[in-house]
Amino acid sequence: MSDFFQTGIITTLHQLGKPSLERLESELHEFSKVRPIALVLPSLYSEFEGPAMPGIVQELAKVKYLNEIVLVLDKASEKEFQKVREFMSPISTEIKIVHNDGKRIREIYETFTRNGFNVGERGKGRSVWLAYGYVLARGRSDVIALHDCDIVTYSRELLARLCYPVVNPNLDYVFCKGYYSRISNKMNGRVTRLLVTPLVRSLQQLVGPHNFLAFLDSFRYPLAGEFCMTTDLARVNRIPWDWGLEVGSLAEVHRNYSPRRVCQVDIAANYDHKHQVLSADDASKGLMKMTVDICKSIFRTLASEGVIFSDGLFKSLLVSYLRHAEDTIMKYEADAAINGLKFDRHEEAMAVEAFTRAIGMATQVFMENPMTTPLIPNWNRVTSAIPDIFEMLQIAVDADNKQ
Amino acid sequence: MENFIDLILDPLNGLFLKFKVFVPNFLAMLVILFIGILIALIIKRALMKFLTAISFDSWSDRMGFTKLMRKGDLWSKPTATLGTIIFWMLIIVTLMSGLNALQIPAIDQLVSQFFSYIPRIFSAAMILIVGYLLSGFISRAVLITAANSGFHYAKLLAKAVHTLLIVLILAMIMEQLQIAPSIVLAAFSIIFGGIVIALAIAFGVGGINAARRVIEKDVMPKREEETKDEIEHI
Repeated sequence: MSDFFQTGIITTLHQLGKPSLERLESELHEFSKVRPIALVLPSLYSEFEGPAMPGIVQELAKVKYLNEIVLVLDKASEKEFQKVREFMSPISTEIKIVHNDGKRIREIYETFTRNGFNVGERGKGRSVWLAYGYVLARGRSDVIALHDCDIVTYSRELLARLCYPVVNPNLDYVFCKGYYSRISNKMNGRVTRLLVTPLVRSLQQLVGPHNFLAFLDSFRYPLAGEFCMTTDLARVNRIPWDWGLEVGSLAEVHRNYSPRRVCQVDIAANYDHKHQVLSADDASKGLMKMTVDICKSIFRTLASEGVIFSDGLFKSLLVSYLRHAEDTIMKYEADAAINGLKFDRHEEAMAVEAFTRAIGMATQVFMENPMTTPLIPNWNRVTSAIPDIFEMLQIAVDADNKQ
Repeated sequence: MENFIDLILDPLNGLFLKFKVFVPNFLAMLVILFIGILIALIIKRALMKFLTAISFDSWSDRMGFTKLMRKGDLWSKPTATLGTIIFWMLIIVTLMSGLNALQIPAIDQLVSQFFSYIPRIFSAAMILIVGYLLSGFISRAVLITAANSGFHYAKLLAKAVHTLLIVLILAMIMEQLQIAPSIVLAAFSIIFGGIVIALAIAFGVGGINAARRVIEKDVMPKREEETKDEIEHI
């Protein structure tokens, strides 16, 4: 059972008691007539061979309030694309699959490149951005919900709770982020627990009160990959194509909208998905790469809001972060103890050491070139340069899905 | 017997003589084809490099030609597509020149007909390019003007204008290519006339009240003024 305390400068929507899913869905069904909903699913073909996707499809087949589903499929051959179409067929909602490796979508990416748009490398950020473009091109939905395709504990309640705050016209929210606890027999979510929160609090200590840091610190799970927003927001937001996607998206939401119109919602009692390896010795992959990207995104956002970074500040940051992270480990140790969860303090300390090294790397990269964090241009700019891009994207996806 | 042998040999001799005349022509055709294909390949490559240098692909993306290609399910780059079109046009010209070298009267006539048709193809292509650009420009202008004037169906109006212009351009192209010109002219007149009549009727029927209001607005103030005028004089 959750408490009802409101933290930070955004609204927190808790799960209080046992709200009826049927009521929630029937309300969503009514609201969606006024604000149609598109669900965006960024996925890899490998996820269709894993344990999560069958459950997600089974649950989505029961959802009646969605207007359309846009699945962006990455790393899939033509044959695998057809298999995915077959796999998704139990769902009655209209589904469009964006085949990232198909010749038509490859040509769409080529069109961006030759017109001077850096849409980044293959990954969730780029896929999500293209899916937004397709939803905007069709112009049939007013709200976009998004979640990953590796959620082993998926239930349709997650989707309903995620959509509700933005779809309900009586609640004036434009962006809603999901949060949840990530517990198995131990606490997961190391990057959020041991990196983002201590880092943000260290920065607050060093930089002083700052709107963006307060905004970021308000989120219970800032790295959650589940969010819901209006299509207007999807049109104006620039998003990073690397691991800074979640933090970078929050930075853009903060930049474009008042925190009063942003909320977070408890979407699941428990959540489990594919775990990334720490990869402490190699900063080019795993959680280390994720850490470097996240830190760069935070530094760049703060710099763009007038914070001046110096060598001295970064040195203090490393020490301050380490202190905050060590304190955090103690807090979680106590939390684990009272809940009877396994807690490997040494492993947590190792993770903190690795994260400290990664912050050091991110600071170096940032000092060498503060503009390194890539942001994909927003759709307003793209359509201004290539007026027919929406139509071309629509033709490409529709042709792929007709074959 | 001698006569009989002549009867057999004469046709063979004639055939041999014809073959003797034909072989150099045939060789000339092969040489023309070889050189023509070579030149076509060189021109294609040079053209593609030139088009890439002037960012033709990007220009096509902005002008709407790429969209036109995608609508036709063509997914190569505009540069590559144009290069391929020019290459095959040159191959056709080469083939016609090669066939001309054979000096066969029937083919000669076909070749001369083909070459006299080339200017028409060229002007049709020009009409298509300029017409498509203009139609896009006009429909966008209509869209912006109508949207800024608060017209509710601005997008629909712009699309209708675009479609009408495309129909007009297609009719002009068909007429230029002399493809069933009388049928095209009749069909175009019927379609275009029909649309105009439909619009006139729709506007006339739908606009009765609006027209009445306009007339009343124009007439009533005058009457009021006249009445006012009279009262003032009294």
